[in-house]
Amino acid sequence: MRHRTISSRTFDVLMIMCAMNLCSLPTQRMIVAAEDDSFFEKQVRPLLVKRCDKCHSGTKTNGGLALDSRAGWQRGGESGPAIMPGKPELSLLVKAINYDGLEMPPKSGGGKLSDTEISVLTEWVKQGANDPRIEAVRPGGMSSEQASSWWAFQSLPKLTEPVTPLRIDRFIDTQLKARSLAASSPADRRTLIRRATHDLTGLSPTPEEVDRFVSDDSDDAFEKVIDRLLASPQYGVKWGRHWLDVVRYADTAGENTDRPLPHAWRYRNWVIDSFNRDLPFDQFVRMQLAGDLLQTDGTTIAAGEGIIATGYLAIARRFGHDIDKDIHLMHEDVIDNVGKNFLGLSIGCARCHDHKYDPLTAEDYYALYGIFSSTRFAFPGCEPKGQPRDLVPLLTQAEIDARTNAWRQRNEKAVAEKKSRDESSVSVRATIKELAAKSSRLLAESKVDEGASVSFADSKSVALDQLPLKKGEILQLTVLPNASHGADTTLVEWEISETNGPKRTWSVADFVSTLTDGNPRTADDGSSWSFLDVTDGPQFLTEKKDVVAEHSDLNAWSLGDTPSVLVNRSKEPIKAWTTLPPRSFFVHPGVNRNVAVAWVCPDDVVVKVNGRVADAHPAGGDGIAFRLEHIAAKNAGPALVKLGMLINAPDIFVEPQPVIPVAYAVVEGSVADARLHQRGDPEQLGDAVPRRWLSIFGGETVPVDAGSGRRQLGDWIASHPLAARVMVNRIWQWHSGRGLVSTPNDFGARGERPSHPELLDWLAAAFRESGYSVKAMHRLIMQTDAYQRSSQVSDSSATDDADNRYLSRFARRRLNAEEIRDTLLAAGGSLDTSSAKAHPFPAEATWNFTQHNPFSAVYTTNRRSVFLMVQRQQRDPYLALFDGADPNASTAVRQRTTVPTQALYFMNAPFVHEQAAGFARRLVATDVPNDRARIQLAFRLLYQRQATPAEVEHGAIFIEQYPGSIDEKWSAWSRVLLSANEFLHLD
Amino acid sequence: MKTTFTPDRRAFLTSSVAGSMLMPGIVQQLLADSNDPLAERQPHFPAKAKRVIFLFMTGGVSHVDTLDPKPALTRDHGKEINADHPEIKDRPGYERIYLKRPQWEFAPHGECGTEVSTLFPHIATCVDDIAMIRSMHTSHSNHYNATLGMHTGSFTFSRPSLGAWVSYGLGTMNRNLPGFVVIAPRQTYAGTQVYASDFLPGAHQGTLVVPGATPVANVAPRIPQDRQTLELAAIRAMNAKHLDSRNDDALLSARMQSFETAFGMQMAVPEAFDLGGETDQTLQNYGLQRGQTSGFGWQCLAARRLVERGVRFVELIDTGSSGNWDAHGDMMSHVGLAKNVDQPIAALLKDLKQSGMLDDTLVVWTTEFGRTPFNNTADAKGREHHPWAFTSWLAGAGVKPGIVHGATDEHGLRAVEKPVHVHDFHATILHLMGFDHEQLTYRHAGRDYRLTDVEGQVVSDILA
Repeated sequence: MRHRTISSRTFDVLMIMCAMNLCSLPTQRMIVAAEDDSFFEKQVRPLLVKRCDKCHSGTKTNGGLALDSRAGWQRGGESGPAIMPGKPELSLLVKAINYDGLEMPPKSGGGKLSDTEISVLTEWVKQGANDPRIEAVRPGGMSSEQASSWWAFQSLPKLTEPVTPLRIDRFIDTQLKARSLAASSPADRRTLIRRATHDLTGLSPTPEEVDRFVSDDSDDAFEKVIDRLLASPQYGVKWGRHWLDVVRYADTAGENTDRPLPHAWRYRNWVIDSFNRDLPFDQFVRMQLAGDLLQTDGTTIAAGEGIIATGYLAIARRFGHDIDKDIHLMHEDVIDNVGKNFLGLSIGCARCHDHKYDPLTAEDYYALYGIFSSTRFAFPGCEPKGQPRDLVPLLTQAEIDARTNAWRQRNEKAVAEKKSRDESSVSVRATIKELAAKSSRLLAESKVDEGASVSFADSKSVALDQLPLKKGEILQLTVLPNASHGADTTLVEWEISETNGPKRTWSVADFVSTLTDGNPRTADDGSSWSFLDVTDGPQFLTEKKDVVAEHSDLNAWSLGDTPSVLVNRSKEPIKAWTTLPPRSFFVHPGVNRNVAVAWVCPDDVVVKVNGRVADAHPAGGDGIAFRLEHIAAKNAGPALVKLGMLINAPDIFVEPQPVIPVAYAVVEGSVADARLHQRGDPEQLGDAVPRRWLSIFGGETVPVDAGSGRRQLGDWIASHPLAARVMVNRIWQWHSGRGLVSTPNDFGARGERPSHPELLDWLAAAFRESGYSVKAMHRLIMQTDAYQRSSQVSDSSATDDADNRYLSRFARRRLNAEEIRDTLLAAGGSLDTSSAKAHPFPAEATWNFTQHNPFSAVYTTNRRSVFLMVQRQQRDPYLALFDGADPNASTAVRQRTTVPTQALYFMNAPFVHEQAAGFARRLVATDVPNDRARIQLAFRLLYQRQATPAEVEHGAIFIEQYPGSIDEKWSAWSRVLLSANEFLHLD
Repeated sequence: MKTTFTPDRRAFLTSSVAGSMLMPGIVQQLLADSNDPLAERQPHFPAKAKRVIFLFMTGGVSHVDTLDPKPALTRDHGKEINADHPEIKDRPGYERIYLKRPQWEFAPHGECGTEVSTLFPHIATCVDDIAMIRSMHTSHSNHYNATLGMHTGSFTFSRPSLGAWVSYGLGTMNRNLPGFVVIAPRQTYAGTQVYASDFLPGAHQGTLVVPGATPVANVAPRIPQDRQTLELAAIRAMNAKHLDSRNDDALLSARMQSFETAFGMQMAVPEAFDLGGETDQTLQNYGLQRGQTSGFGWQCLAARRLVERGVRFVELIDTGSSGNWDAHGDMMSHVGLAKNVDQPIAALLKDLKQSGMLDDTLVVWTTEFGRTPFNNTADAKGREHHPWAFTSWLAGAGVKPGIVHGATDEHGLRAVEKPVHVHDFHATILHLMGFDHEQLTYRHAGRDYRLTDVEGQVVSDILA
């Protein structure tokens, strides 16, 4: 194993630097090197130690400067190299001690050096700053020897005997014995099944499940319980949630607008499902890092699954206003989480400098950085880049093409028809507009004052009693709103009568009963009426309304609310926004929009035109105006009718385009090594670091043409003993409340050492041997005596094992936030155990979230709490109150606070009262002989035990004495039972 | 302390009704236990300040128009300048920038003569109690980040809020009230992160109060008190029996006790927010109508009542993430925002001073950043975000009164004299509370975290 790889380029640079130093030194200095050492040792080193080391040595390097090694001052700090050998006048160190610019040591560090001290350092620099303190080769915060012998990095032991729960107990008993600690007696069966059911499913067992276990005399009674629980889909809900804690799962991105992640749920559900089907843990690791690369040649479902699994990477927190500008922070979040989750190493700490305690270097950090910056992450959108992009389709391109093509084929004809209809209506409309402009003749025109009525005869500009018209020509009456009010209901009477021949008559009164039959409405003789918006050329009113203002005798055509034409077809006046006289026709212009009624002439005729226009709703302020025109072009009428037929023809149905399911996931991006960010500053780029595994573990590089290297990273991690150790420790912790290593995210120098090192190693080896089966670990751990002990504290363990580090008992625990809520819902009879999919987020196209107006929502559900929507910027108030997981950072161990605001929640929150009332209803509705039996039932449902006679007695007294109705009494007593410590705690 | 539960009917009923455990105010220290996150603790060294009122003005108050007089800016109005400023970098239309004059007149006030503009006529009457810091600067020009930084010392990540640190360091003085209360009318920039306890124990989380008729969630009992007393007595009896066979488990006892405290909070919280007992004169001083339950005057008077009752840290946020001091469009929007806070803040300071509480209460006034003394035209009506310089002030316990600390350059562009970064500001506040900011740490994820990260110098010039 190599412990530190110095890239060849770095090595070259070092060689050149050394060579230059040598060249710059006169030969005689080389000869007196020994004497220089003594000057350094006697005068310089003590001075540096006394006055500089406090702030510039070891882990403390203010301004980035270390003065405790030659390399330290050569490398220099933020202001550059500290010393130019032989040139005190150019050396920052000499300037600083003379308080020239920088002032070192500062006042807080003892103030300026004495003149003698200054002259010693100045002379040392002048003489070439000989410094024998060659920096030890240290990968980060450990020496090579320490790193290679670090306990957590060692290979796993070989298992020499069969894997049994007994073996675990032997490890534990040895420690107990060595400390003279007495183990508690085994827990009773009711306690044990309550414990096991919560541990594996987060819910309480039913009375029937308890009875069956209590009365099962077979040797494998508990094994059967474990198997049953592991087979329940609720197992994945509980254990998936554990994993979601560590990966800091959230349903929003966390950047300044906290945008929703509408597709993240697929990863959440995949995690739950993976636990349920006991996906081998090594595969679980590989898929989350590189699932898209593992299964691309598999079936559709498998390929989709692999992509979904990489949601682990995609849900990394995003930062800032423009995510892309702060993308290095997302990469840090990814690297930090990968390190802690899978390896128990705080690799994220090496972003700005080598790790101070663990054997991790900044190069290691940027080696991994390159892997992730060569990956394309789904983009959630942010304020300046509103919409999501780079979501990953869950179908292959061929399947997408197949669906899209099938859609296209099915709709080809319809799309073409629609297109041709749209095109021809555009051209017909243009024709009409042109004809009207050329051949229009004004017949009558007037303003109609507020509440007034004006007849055509009183406003005519040509004689209207003998008007010759040609077939196909148009008479058009336009009503204008005046000063844009548009709130004018206008009565129109209009009759056209032949003066000779058949003496036919055409009138707007003809269609008062049948307005909505059509637009245009063409009669058998070829005449036709059209209702138009003519603000800019003719536009047919297309919206048919058979009920207006809740009156079915009011019918209308409109575009939006106005403009419109309408009729009162009843024989009575109708009082709506104004009183509308019976059997009348109205037009209603819009704001700045003129409405017209057009009549197309069926034959060459001579007609008399009669009519009037009246303001029927004198409230608008300034009345209306009208204009009666003759469009003397015989092509105009047919064109208008054609346009109307095109526009008002039934819709051509085109299916919506098929929706391609997508995941919030990652795929390969453009592959390149990352350059080191000096002191973590992305604008101060150093050398490129090859993409590779951690140097302490060999530093194997990503092969050329292997893409980003995520696939290799998944293999390196999954096959490393550290990954197995970290995971079995988590499993142990999630069962017993405390890991064998009590810092589950930190197996490095700052973490706690294991309480039972051999047991941890043995468990990790057993995990590997089981094919990384998590369920096998449950069976193994839960069948130990240690797991099955009672929570009673023996005298010796109370004092000598107060925090139960040596497992002399079972550690009593409070239910966590999800268990409390789910168990309350179950008690109230309202729990929905089905799985959820997407949250009801607003549609992406509508997003306009900003930092001033960020996304914020709480969605209620009766499903299990793992399906609550988790927001990064706004914590769900319930989950925050009961120590839910932090959605912004890996939560290895849930906090457990006890605060009065939690008690207030139990006393006064509507949710608790609702569930208590639900539980009371269940009790009251149950067919049992009497209240005492009802009380027994309640204890069995909530506490999984029989009530004592005294408890029954007190329950009965409470029910009797509590004021109010039967429901109120039982609700109150239910609140008592649900608030009591026994309900909230597991023994 | 332990109640014996007997099946005797009479004893049960007696204990339900008498239930001395449930009487508010008789909150007993069931656990004299170091695990108790709210236990009262001593700071690192003796300090005058026992509590803090933190006044946060949202959106970026223009220093050059309010508290930092710049005659040269008036003189040089319209003059083109160059600045490598984060808000104009690569911003179309901002290739050239010009100085823009303050829109309000400044005058010296009080015996100390500290200058304040006409935007804050009432605060101007308090300058003899104020240490004005005119050399504040911060690390980010975005609301979200700068607001997060001013509250948590981190401009990017979620970290514990200043109030949570103070609560963690000192514990609580009144268990019937939360130790850290935030009164904010609307959602803030960066959301609940600004008052979160983050990795500190959840007991130090800021409790959000939204001005209105029911300011704190779940405080109002849903059933009459006599019934609730019966229920709590029954819970207590069950818990006592449960505890009996469980070796007096401290966590079980703590939860029992939390119900007693909660019962007290049901009365203490509404009482603290009920201004009915305040005199007409007091209400008038704060600019309040009788019965009013919102507005910054209400927030300030509620803050005084909270600190009187032992709340350790009260933060008042004046507005929310919109409709605030963010005057890009028109500086005149400062008029209404200043009017909203000016009289109430002055009333609060005078009220505290009169009652003597200013001697052990620290009052902090700040915003997230200042506003640019320039714009892309001199006639532009607004100003942009300005992290390089702004003004904050401190008053009360341990603070040197009637002084001005530090200065910006002649145009208010940069903090040049004795600059005070947000980290220094935090270090100073912690110092005033009796803490060495480098020693007030919490071990999380293998590292000792502190409010000031790896920075922070106490501004000793302003210490009394």
